[in-house]
Amino acid sequence: MSSLVLSLIAVPWIVAAVLLFAPKMLGRGLVVLTALALSVISVVIFVQGGSQPFSFSVPHQVHQIMLAADVLMLLYFVGVAFKYRSWLVGILAGLQMGMLAGVINAVGEKASEASPFLVDRLSMFMFLLVNVVSGLIAIYATKYIEEEDVREQRKRNFLAILMWFVGVMNFLVSVDNLEWFFLLFEGTTLASFWLIRFRGDDLSVRNALRALWMNQLGGVAILGAILFALNSNYGTMQISELVKQAGSVGFMLPFALIAVAALIKGAQMPFSSWLLGAMVAPTPVSALLHSSTMVKIAPYTLLRIAPAIAGTKLSYVIILLCAFGFVVAALGSLARTNFKEILAHSTIALLALMCLLAAVGTETAIMAALFLVLFHGVSKCLLFLEAGVLERVFHFKHTTQLQKLGDVGPKTSFFIAFGFISLMLPPFGAFVGKWLGVELLAKNAQIGTPVVSLLAIVAILLGSAMLTFLYFKVIGALISRSGEHEKPVSEKMAPCFFGVPLILALLLVGGMVGLVPLTNNYIAPVAAAVHGTLKEFSVDGFAMMFGSSQLAVWPMMGAMLLFPLVAFLSQFVRFRGVDRVKEYNCTERYEQDFASYYFSFDKLNPWFILVGTLFFVALVLVGRLPL
Amino acid sequence: MNNLIAAIVFIALAPVLGGLVYGVERKVRARMQNRMGPSILQPFFDFMKLLDKRPMMVHSTHAFLGIMHFVAIWFALAVLVLGGDMLVVIFLHLLATALLVVAGYSVRSVFSHLGSTRQALSALAYEPVLLAIAIGFFMVTGSFNTSAVMNSAQPLIVKLPLAFVALLMILPIKLKKSPFDVADAHQEVVGGAEIEFSGVFFEALYTARWVEYMFGYSLVALFAGANIWLGIGMATVVFFVVNAVDNSTARLNYKDMLKISLGIALPLALLNLVFLVL
Repeated sequence: MSSLVLSLIAVPWIVAAVLLFAPKMLGRGLVVLTALALSVISVVIFVQGGSQPFSFSVPHQVHQIMLAADVLMLLYFVGVAFKYRSWLVGILAGLQMGMLAGVINAVGEKASEASPFLVDRLSMFMFLLVNVVSGLIAIYATKYIEEEDVREQRKRNFLAILMWFVGVMNFLVSVDNLEWFFLLFEGTTLASFWLIRFRGDDLSVRNALRALWMNQLGGVAILGAILFALNSNYGTMQISELVKQAGSVGFMLPFALIAVAALIKGAQMPFSSWLLGAMVAPTPVSALLHSSTMVKIAPYTLLRIAPAIAGTKLSYVIILLCAFGFVVAALGSLARTNFKEILAHSTIALLALMCLLAAVGTETAIMAALFLVLFHGVSKCLLFLEAGVLERVFHFKHTTQLQKLGDVGPKTSFFIAFGFISLMLPPFGAFVGKWLGVELLAKNAQIGTPVVSLLAIVAILLGSAMLTFLYFKVIGALISRSGEHEKPVSEKMAPCFFGVPLILALLLVGGMVGLVPLTNNYIAPVAAAVHGTLKEFSVDGFAMMFGSSQLAVWPMMGAMLLFPLVAFLSQFVRFRGVDRVKEYNCTERYEQDFASYYFSFDKLNPWFILVGTLFFVALVLVGRLPL
Repeated sequence: MNNLIAAIVFIALAPVLGGLVYGVERKVRARMQNRMGPSILQPFFDFMKLLDKRPMMVHSTHAFLGIMHFVAIWFALAVLVLGGDMLVVIFLHLLATALLVVAGYSVRSVFSHLGSTRQALSALAYEPVLLAIAIGFFMVTGSFNTSAVMNSAQPLIVKLPLAFVALLMILPIKLKKSPFDVADAHQEVVGGAEIEFSGVFFEALYTARWVEYMFGYSLVALFAGANIWLGIGMATVVFFVVNAVDNSTARLNYKDMLKISLGIALPLALLNLVFLVL
């Protein structure tokens, strides 16, 4: 088993190295093969893996290699700081070096024999998401990057970085040692820095640097967590040990700092600008950052520490911070016209929701969070890949142009509509996650934390309503047309521009049809591993019980399939024998104004940033309080 | 068993009952304005007249979505009356609205689009309040099912007075009554999302509004718990209140609507929830 896990790390890295030099066709073939192999391996690990977490040790030298990598990376950051004259990056890199030295010093006294690896159900769940979805993105990227206007070598570099990124992600979700976690955390930062910078223009460089320093701040927080953990009663930097001892030690600052790092990765206010800036990169990068890697570190990390923080004051602050982030991100999306920008705001909003649920940390909350992590990953990937198709095939960037799409690109408009529907409507998993969240918070409000829970509920309701409003506008724009067009002309595009989204859409349909077995066999064991026990969840025929609330899947599905089905059918229904007329425009010129400029809250942004910052400060301060 | 039969009959007759309510409403409003008003059966005469019109439409997708709007809203009412999950009911209702909104966007007409945007904004204004009320039901009865509400011996209005007030405040938005009838303000947007429907296809939207009446007043009746006569009485009182307000106020713009529903009605409902816990 350990060799399988190691292969998930080693294979992408070796392939990445080969890709740097491989000729074009060989490189493309290699990417496809690797994507397939990684997906198969991650499925095998999930199927064979037991419920018990397993760990394995590594030779002593590996620790030294990791340390050397730490130092090299930080030196590289310093180099970046000099090259682009970014003092912020430089200062943070210096700070990280100093703290790292402190960590090495502290570890020296308390030499730890514990294994740096810990692979449990949660890791396996993440393997599946990371490898299957990123594999599909990599296959898509081979075609996408071919049409990019850059030198051949840069195209090879691009694919190599993508592969390397996947390896780092796999590594990150299987480590237990916080020092290694820091290296890999910053490893993903580095990879995204390279990828965002890829196009090399001023804007790209500026946004890449912003992504770098913000995530470096997360790195600083992790190093701080290690230092506080080592110099307190914990005396360890194993995440699993910290979580185990949290109740008895009662010193929450390390967890607060880990949560800070996670929420920065998760692009919560005031750190949302790095993810919004990341959209200047080639579209497969956005797909990768938003769906399966990078931002998913946020819910992953919070799920790891969920048992320690659930029900503490710390979790209340995180819940409120995320509730705030959810509403602000949804508000921000209303006045946007750029397709990728809309998607980015909805990612930030849904990440807030995942983190919120992870921080609640009850069994049902964890299941809801996992639902969202999984289904959001697939849906968002589909949508971003379609954004790429819009750019490459139709040369569209703005949603105002989408209204021509119904006539020229029925396939693409179908995928886009499907992607949005799968993000917001039942019976898709993303909706199940939200539904569970509301029911659960309503219960929590009854049990003990009324104010926090009610505020969170309001945030979820308001935010979801706003996002739904926005999605419907996009769908409306897609089907807008004047008069019948009896024979839609299907667009021609490269097979992988059609095939990869098709696979993702089929995955979503499969997840919907098989929701009950999926939950029972895949989500529930993972939640059990995170939470320790699984008492509330049970399956009763076609209904799933979460404590006292029942999710009657099939009746609900039957009822709720109405919309997706109707929206789909409505494209094919033809009424015969009815006269067609033109619209009544009262001599007004027709112009669809897509964004709701009345809802531009940009001028409130400084305030949002201020409140967000205060939340982060509060998070650290609350960590200082006794349990 | 009798209850079930009664429920099914009620659901089957909902459009007709809704039509009657609409007829009575026109009469009542006319009397408030010192007019005679049309016959109570006038909505049905209008219905017959629309059937006679020459069928016309912009395109099939648009017409089909309009018909499905009617089906979905009827379905939402059925789930509500049969005791389904309140969250599902609210969501189905949102879907029905969404179908109308998408239908409005699907033609290239300025007024249709404006109307759709306003319709969506109205949903944005009242949907959170409805959900807060559903959570209130849950906190009182321990279940999200409306059957639990309908079996509760004590009327829920006793425990949820503020939530009931919140419902009264959003009801004009749902029923498109002044001061919150921005969605189909005909002086401003020539009928809004419904503008491009005509003849037999408009029939669907026309009857959907009757079902919407039944939906809104059923929500009011839910606050009476098991006591069905109290429920009908409350619905009747609310009916007169809503029409009196409709008659005596001018239309507010959508910003004020959002401010009032999200800034006053929603906090009221939530305050009620906090009182429940304390």
